[in-house]
Amino acid sequence: MVKMFLESLKNLTSKPETKGYPYTPSPEPKGYKGTILYDEDLCIFCDKCEEVCPPGAILFEIVDVENNKREYSYNPYLCIYCHACVDACPKADEGCLVQSETRLPPLGRDSKVPKDKRLGYFVNRIEEAKDFDKKWDEFEERARESREKLAEHKKRMKLKKQQEAKAKKEAEAKAKQEAEAKAKQEAEANPQ
Amino acid sequence: MGNKITVVFGSQHIAIPEPVSFVFQTENEIITDVAVDVGYVHRGIEQAAVTKFKFNNVQYLLARVCGFCSITHASAYIHGVEKLLGVETNKKIDYLRTLVVELDRIHSHMLANGHVAEVCGYENLFMQTIKYREISTEILEIITGNRIQYDYYTIGGVSRDLTLENEKMIRTRLKELREHVLKLMEFFETDYTLGLKTKGVGVVTYEMAKKYNTAGPIARASGLKTDARAEFDFLPYEELGYKMQIRTEGDVWARNMVRFDEVLNSIDICLNVLDGLGEGDIQVKVKGRPKGETFIRVEAPRGECFYYVKGNGTKVMERVRVRVPTYANVPVLKELFVGSKYSDAQAIVLSFDPCLSCTAR
Repeated sequence: MVKMFLESLKNLTSKPETKGYPYTPSPEPKGYKGTILYDEDLCIFCDKCEEVCPPGAILFEIVDVENNKREYSYNPYLCIYCHACVDACPKADEGCLVQSETRLPPLGRDSKVPKDKRLGYFVNRIEEAKDFDKKWDEFEERARESREKLAEHKKRMKLKKQQEAKAKKEAEAKAKQEAEAKAKQEAEANPQ
Repeated sequence: MGNKITVVFGSQHIAIPEPVSFVFQTENEIITDVAVDVGYVHRGIEQAAVTKFKFNNVQYLLARVCGFCSITHASAYIHGVEKLLGVETNKKIDYLRTLVVELDRIHSHMLANGHVAEVCGYENLFMQTIKYREISTEILEIITGNRIQYDYYTIGGVSRDLTLENEKMIRTRLKELREHVLKLMEFFETDYTLGLKTKGVGVVTYEMAKKYNTAGPIARASGLKTDARAEFDFLPYEELGYKMQIRTEGDVWARNMVRFDEVLNSIDICLNVLDGLGEGDIQVKVKGRPKGETFIRVEAPRGECFYYVKGNGTKVMERVRVRVPTYANVPVLKELFVGSKYSDAQAIVLSFDPCLSCTAR
């Protein structure tokens, strides 16, 4: 009891253990898991990050179905900072997908939506913070639909290709038949 | 005969940060009957694990079952899946995993002990304990990049390596922590007023511990030799200097002291890990999808955690079953209350260190 009393007295006179946070800075330590940053020029659009992301914070929307053109979108407020996408990225060493050491401040009703090219297309297109969630829900639906469209398009193209191949084959077969018939006729016409 | 009063303790109560409800029937101060409800935070995680997530994502979901045992849940699941996939990890991965698991145990035990001191009306000891606990959370933040949800385990490896500079820092800070823990132990051991509230209160005898199948520090404080770390070889504890900590008193004080003993042992294990950490890859190649069923038992800070995992060769698991230590300790807790004073109830509950978000999931 006496020892604890002495310790308490010592604590009374010593400096406080806590930081006076808003007035003194409290920086993140080195190697802190922060926001995911993306570089479109290096991306090979393999969709591995989208596939592995547990909460679905990374989504690719297919904007041009015919040319298979994709746009990367990231929701920093849905991200759980687990580092799985960076582990999955084949171009991570070159800096396509990196985890920075700071996090974005939380999004309030009146706060500004962060604008950064490396955060992907979705965040840069939102103006008002209050419709962020609603817009993200709509976007999720849109991304899903675009994926279905691409699948349909691919199916259609495959069918078309098959039909073309079939037609070509038939035409070839017909030409061959005709050629054979012709040769036979010729053979019958001049039997030496 | 005195007055019969019904006292409601929880689901919202200042002594417990988590929702659990005890309804006590009391006669004057003595508790005569108790009803327990543990299911306030059910979130349907087991169902989500087999419907919404692929097998290589489930560990991130399970880590969010509970803040303190986050690494335990992720580790249990991953050990199970690795068993099904036939993955063999190397020495370095095992050592790094052990380091994080033990640091997690340190910070969980320190908080539990501080909490007991707080509900006994000893708030400056609580503050002191939390102050020293900060060392272990800071180390974890530096190793894994996060304070609570580490996401350190991946299937067949760990997410990042330890740098040389960090290793040096961890070693000095752990030695510092050991000094502080020894000091705290002295306070807990010699303090007269804390002793009045904890010594001889809420005694779980050896027979009771055995009969009600208790787990973790509660069982070990009653002299029951049970520890998943000693029984199974999911991590190389034996070569890292693990020793089972046993006390025989079985009261609130003994549970606290067992926790402190384990903290000291964990610090030794962590230092041994740093000594024996060799070179090697931190990720082993993994192929295929889990097929078949298995179970895994790991030692969470609160006791033995059981996982049953079943896969059917597809992307999504067929069954993930979780059984947590707090659930095993609730029956004996109920038995303990009957006959004890209401004023001791808070100290008894918190000496069990209940984790309700694990229990209800």
